[in-house]
Amino acid sequence: MQTKGKHRLIDIRHLTDSTYVLQMERNGLQFDAGQHILLGAAGDLNQREYSIYSGNRDEYLEVLIKEVDDGDVSKKLKNITIGDYLQVEGPLGYFRLDTKLVPDKKFLFISSGTGIAPFHSMVKSHPELDYTVLHGVRYGYEGYERSHYDKNRYIQCTSGDETGHFHGRVTDYLKAHPIDNSTICYFCGNFKMIREAMDILEKKGIPHHQLHAEVYF
Amino acid sequence: MNEPKTVAFKTLGCRLNLYETDALAAEFVRKNYKIVDFGEPADLYVINTCTVTNQSDQKSRREINVAHKANAHGVTIVTGCMATNYKEQLEKNEAIDYVVDNQHKTSVLAVAEAHFNGELVDINHFDANLFNYSPADTTFHTRSLIKIQDGCDNFCTFCIIPKVRGRATSRPPEDIFENIKTVIAYGYKEIVLTGVNLGRYQHGAYDFERLTEEILEIPGDFRVRISSIEPDGYSESFFRLFNHPKLTPHLHICLQSGSEEILLKMRRMYTARFFKDMAIKLQQMHPGFNLTTDIIVGFPGETDDQFGETLEMMKTIGFGHVHTFKYSVRKGTRAERMEGQVASHEKTQRSEEVRKLADEMKLSFRTSFIGKTQRVLVEKIRDDGTASGYGEHYVPVVIREHGLTANTFYDVMIEDILAGDEPTLTGTRVVETN
Repeated sequence: MQTKGKHRLIDIRHLTDSTYVLQMERNGLQFDAGQHILLGAAGDLNQREYSIYSGNRDEYLEVLIKEVDDGDVSKKLKNITIGDYLQVEGPLGYFRLDTKLVPDKKFLFISSGTGIAPFHSMVKSHPELDYTVLHGVRYGYEGYERSHYDKNRYIQCTSGDETGHFHGRVTDYLKAHPIDNSTICYFCGNFKMIREAMDILEKKGIPHHQLHAEVYF
Repeated sequence: MNEPKTVAFKTLGCRLNLYETDALAAEFVRKNYKIVDFGEPADLYVINTCTVTNQSDQKSRREINVAHKANAHGVTIVTGCMATNYKEQLEKNEAIDYVVDNQHKTSVLAVAEAHFNGELVDINHFDANLFNYSPADTTFHTRSLIKIQDGCDNFCTFCIIPKVRGRATSRPPEDIFENIKTVIAYGYKEIVLTGVNLGRYQHGAYDFERLTEEILEIPGDFRVRISSIEPDGYSESFFRLFNHPKLTPHLHICLQSGSEEILLKMRRMYTARFFKDMAIKLQQMHPGFNLTTDIIVGFPGETDDQFGETLEMMKTIGFGHVHTFKYSVRKGTRAERMEGQVASHEKTQRSEEVRKLADEMKLSFRTSFIGKTQRVLVEKIRDDGTASGYGEHYVPVVIREHGLTANTFYDVMIEDILAGDEPTLTGTRVVETN
């Protein structure tokens, strides 16, 4: 059920200079992990889509935001204060797990930057998931709250330093490692990464219907 | 007794708008208004606008001017997507009396009545209901359009529709069944299921497939056509529904681009590969199926090679018709902020290439019907006494016989094709022999 309303900001966690988590009242908003909301400061006409970062059993609602240099919304949201209201509409979108497959299948979550957000929600919402998160960032310090994932299931690929588990892009990692053909693969991040990663996995024999993408801009 | 007030309608854009205008017009007729042609002097003009491209905006503005010129003292109500998108701007236009957004479109008659009664009209005080249209007994068309869904949650990066039509909403199935039974009783022989994103229909346990399945079981001599749909979310079992004799073998499925990268940038919910596999499967299951599509050329960043992929995809699939759009910036969409906007002359050239290829494919597709039969629903009797209408594949057919009746099905043997911008099949009735 979609809702449109004001949600009070509870907390802001600054994960890096430009990346932060907004935690707000949930107000009963029901969603499937992977879906997104339209978010803006209350009273502001500008809104943007953000994947829900929190789990669907959490009492609150969270989003992970990267401040964009020329962004109207991400800059404004960074400067709002606790107790202020946010305009929330949603949940929206069809990027979600096929829950029938959760008990038996392996899931590979391939992300770049804040594209990890829907996977954070999926992992929190489905503790029984057999998953691996592949997270592409430039530097190791961009492993946003990596401690939330099982350390054996989180693989950080860093292209700008060698502090990650793998030095290079996620696409380099995918080229270099075997992937079981029965794996269900989800992608979230910029379209170039998704396009290349899909191509690699298709060449590795992963059937097309097992590939699901959410593009970030 | 007072002379009835006259009202003129103009509809721009999609079938959903056509449906809504039909329903509004029928309400006005029930209230004793007389419908006159648009452009003639009338007491009231209703313009149901579109905003999907810049061109749509221009056409909508042009029609507002046409109404104003026809009768500057008439009342002009502008509704639809452009009215929703540019509400404040249009409200400043002196040629317009009322701007009624999509949420309040069902209240257009009430707005007019209130105006003619000398009441102060505040649009926001009228009901906001997306489905509160009565079935139309007389419409501007032979087919009866049935609205089953409104709005879209896909948020394609080029598209303004989620902003102007709102979130996806589905009409209760029992209302739809009732609406269909009513229009069949009125005598309609073809119904067209219409909405913004039909495949996302979901109301309780009903998805689009189940809804369609049950519609096909409604008794009566009619056929069902599905309006434009998005490619995602269809299974083989949905395509099997086309084995039902009432469901016409035609789908307009929007491809938009044959390039995987462009589809990702458009934030479409499928890949080019998925679309191709789906189209081939459909054509294998139902040989001769008429698959038509929309294509956008010149999306930001589209390279020559990526455009070439679209042409290749067209050739592989062999569409029966392609509606080409030159990409135009829609304010407030994600694509507005994308780099690499394609030059206008380049878009025009690509559009022309698509059009040429599409024309060839259309002629080839339609020619393939020669020697086969089509069940034609006659829409009109032409000036020369012959009849014209559409076959089940949604191909235009002229029946070269006299004395036929409009709104009647005829089995027609296709004998020839009249080439031209809109290649039209010609034939004669199949005469049953014992």
